[in-house]
Amino acid sequence: MKLKKGNVSDEIPTASMADIAFLLIIYFMVTTTFAATRGLDFSLPQEEDTPPMVEKEEAVLIEIQAGGVLIVDQKPMLLDEILEYLEPKLERNPRKPVIIRPQQNAAYGDMVSVFDELRQAKDKIGFEVKNISIPTQREIDMFWF
Amino acid sequence: MADIAFLLIIFFMVTISFEVDKTQVTLPRTEIRLEIPKQSAYVSIISSGQIRVSAGDEISVPVPGPEEVLSFAAGVVQRDPTKAFVLKADSDVPYRYVDSVIDALKQAKAQVIYLLSDQETVDNQES
Repeated sequence: MKLKKGNVSDEIPTASMADIAFLLIIYFMVTTTFAATRGLDFSLPQEEDTPPMVEKEEAVLIEIQAGGVLIVDQKPMLLDEILEYLEPKLERNPRKPVIIRPQQNAAYGDMVSVFDELRQAKDKIGFEVKNISIPTQREIDMFWF
Repeated sequence: MADIAFLLIIFFMVTISFEVDKTQVTLPRTEIRLEIPKQSAYVSIISSGQIRVSAGDEISVPVPGPEEVLSFAAGVVQRDPTKAFVLKADSDVPYRYVDSVIDALKQAKAQVIYLLSDQETVDNQES
């Protein structure tokens, strides 16, 4: 029996390479998700046993009620007005503590908006709010009352 | 053509990041957004209050309540005391769920929490 000789190419067949490559591209395009990888940082105090003692009277208390109503030092206020209200206080005392206290049924988004607003103080009024605290309910029960 | 295709493949391979938490939530919008360190531990809360946790290198798992978040976080902090925690909570979730999770992370002696957010834009503010 005679075998055919001489027709075998000595090159690697690359004609289907592009097809494979495009299949891989489609796979990666479909599986790529642009995950949100940014957010607001929130540093926690490190000594659990000695919580920063803040005199309630000295601090600015921002209460967030359900529905997004803000009560700043017992007065209802809009989000845009908070920094305006804080400006003279921060001018006198740059380390003025600001306490954010959302009610248990308030929306998380409202707390984040207030926190974001306070963090922008440096850009908006030129003073940084250095001392922001968001006490948890357990801390309030333990240390306040 | 194949060269371009391979360049694209390399681009996608380099940029692909495997999300450890695939929970669908409506994130709160903020103007200040800082880059979150890679491999951070995740705690996600959906609007019904269901909590899921991930130490950063595996897919998140649901946990029954804040007590389990405390034991999870304590374990993570023990392995790496500087580990950052990412709180991925739905904007509409009642604050009491977030409060209990933050409290658990505080008790576990976590150093920093990132509140995951979307970019606030002028359009969002107007609407």
